[in-house]
Order: sequence, then C-alpha cells, then structure tokens
Amino acid sequence: MTAARVGIGGPVGSGKTALIEAILPHLAAAGIDTAVITNDLVTDEDAERLRRGGQLPPERVLAVQAGACPHTVIREDPTLNIAAADRLERDFPGLDLILIESGGDNLASTFSPDLVDFWMFVIDVAGGDDIPRKKGPGILQADLLVVNKADLAPHVGVDLPLMLDQAQAVRGGRPVIATVCRRDQGVAGILDLLRREVLFR
Amino acid sequence: MTPDALPLLTAMHLADSSFPSGLFAFSWGLEAALAEGQADPRDLAGWIGAELHGRWHPFDRVALAGGWRLDGAGLADWDDLVDASIPAEMQRQQSLQAGAALAASARRIGVALDDGHAPVVHGRFLRLSGLTLPDALAVSAMGMARGLASAAVRLGRVGAVAVQRDLLALLPRIAALTDPPRPDDLPASFAPISDIALMRPLASRLFVN
Repeated sequence: MTAARVGIGGPVGSGKTALIEAILPHLAAAGIDTAVITNDLVTDEDAERLRRGGQLPPERVLAVQAGACPHTVIREDPTLNIAAADRLERDFPGLDLILIESGGDNLASTFSPDLVDFWMFVIDVAGGDDIPRKKGPGILQADLLVVNKADLAPHVGVDLPLMLDQAQAVRGGRPVIATVCRRDQGVAGILDLLRREVLFR
Repeated sequence: MTPDALPLLTAMHLADSSFPSGLFAFSWGLEAALAEGQADPRDLAGWIGAELHGRWHPFDRVALAGGWRLDGAGLADWDDLVDASIPAEMQRQQSLQAGAALAASARRIGVALDDGHAPVVHGRFLRLSGLTLPDALAVSAMGMARGLASAAVRLGRVGAVAVQRDLLALLPRIAALTDPPRPDDLPASFAPISDIALMRPLASRLFVN
C-alpha cells in the first residue's frame, strides 16, 4: 500500500460529495494522483455524480454498497472498502490518494483505523449550531471537522463564529475548517492540511 | 481452558458474524425476493432452507471443500473451474467481490491468501486457520443461514428475536447438509428463484445483491 486513504463521513446532505467535487481540482493542480470510493446507502448516485462531473476518469470512482449499514462498512467490517482500495492501487500504480466517502450517517459514525490513515467529518450550519455541542464520536474523533455551507449561517439563525468556537472547544483545539464547498471557499485549507498531515508533499 | 476446547473456540471465532468478511452487505437475492413477494418474511426458514439445499449444498459446499483441500496450481485451477461454473456475470463478479473482501481481511491478520471466489477463499482461509473440513463446512453453512437472517432483519421485514426461531429450527437441517463432498464432485447449483432475484434491478437497493 502506498496511497494515503482518507475517509469523509458525516450526516446526509452535509456536503460530503460536494467537498470531493470541490477538492478534486485542487488535488489535480497539485499533481496528486487521486481515486474515490463512494459508499452510497441505496444507489450508486454519489458515484455516478462524481463520474458525470468528469473531474476523474470514471474507472477511478468505485461504488461500494453498504448493506443497509453505512457505519458497518466503514468501521465494524470495512473489508469491502479495503478490497476496493486495494483494487484501485493495483489498477492505478502510483496512486497518491484514495478518498473514501461514507454514506450519510449520524453523529456516531467513525472510520476504522484499518481502513483510513486520516478521516474528516462534515457537518453543515443548516443542521443547527448545536451539533458541535451534541458532541458524538464523529465530531470528537475525526482528524478534521469541516463545517460546510457557512454562507447559510445568517439565513438559518446560526452564529457561525460561536459554532466554530464551540467546535474547537469540544475537539480540544484539533482542526476545524469552515467551508462553502459549492463556491470553493475553505477547500484549499483542507488540501493544505492533507498535504501536511497525510500526503507529506 | 482445556486443549480440547481449542477447535470449538477457533470455529466459534471464525463463524462469528463480527468477523470482518464483507458478507453483511450481500443478501444473495433475498432483498429483491422480499420486495417482490417471492420470499415470505413469515416463512424465512423456508427461503433459507431452500438456499441451503439449492445453492449452498451443491455449490458452496463443494467449492469450499476444494479450497480447503487444494494448494498451489491445483487451487488456482479449482478457482478457475468455480469461475466457469457461475454463468451469470453479475453473480460471478459478486462472488469475486466477496472473496476479495475476505482475502483482504485475512491478509491483514497474517493469513496469506490470494483473491478468488468467495467459497474457495473461505475454504482455504478456514484450513489455514486450523479448522477441519467438517467444521469448515459447518461454519460456512451457518454463515449463509445467519447472513440471510441478518439481511432480513436489516431490511426491517423480520424481528431480530423472532428470526432466532427460524435459525434454531434450521440447525438440524444444516447439520445434515454439512457432509464433506467427494473430491471428484463438481459445483453445480440449482436455485433459479434467488438466481434471478439477485440479478433483478431494484429502484432502491440496500445490498450488493
């Protein structure tokens, strides 16, 4: 194994696929050879969306079904994802990075250390500014917490600076990044963190 | 612990549904059959029994025994034969996918396995883990029965407690089916309803098949 494996988890609709769509151009510009695995709950919709997006050749996007258990396929039994990642490394020698997107799940979802070297948890402001205060393993244990849709904060009554402060506090100062993935805001910061913490380049 | 308990403990460990093998994500046609009324959730034991008789006994049992018995080139040839014995492309790919998941898990705990079809990889893995062939067959048959029951529970069609009655009722049949095949037996299943069900497209599918 040579490619770094990075998990992306978070609730349904928080922007996990949007984050991948936003970061792929940054990765390409940095010369980081990338592939993606999606874990859709019911369909191949996320995988198809990424394939249609055209930022990666379709064969570099694999879909793994979650057997009705989005947390099982990334934590208790990640073997289908491990096998998919192994296959990508076999098929694309020299791969630098494999992004593994979880199906949408609750705040308790976490990634197995067997599967990933680093994982981020994506929430969005429209889900409520109390999410960080609710803690939950996803919020607390992720290597990076991404607070997406930051631009919606004034429209949904969220005090974004307070939400970010509380997120920092419950995470003991570990990284928190606010993003607007649709507008490519904050995404470069995620890439910088991945380069520093995972890719070492 | 007495040394006599070791084979039982090993079998229990390897048969435990918490052992990561990827199989939780496969329903082998049950999802579509329940959705389309071909399987009756009030008679899950009937569906599981039919799968054990029509699929596991004539195919998985034989394929697994070859994986357990053979090494080297003989093992590779056997996997090729199993491959040729699954005419439906989707089913063939899913068997390989399940085999790759188990092999990935085994390699990470120090058991050197090549990818291959699920029952062949499973047989090889169980032998290298120290199981006798009869115990390996019991682990495999019980795994299929429990996997189907678990899929039905996660689909919300049967209760997690109620399904235990089905599994308990099936134990004598499972025990009767786990006779080791002869070395010259060839895998050949006949489970047309589930064969078609696992290939049938569903608008929303939770399982691999």
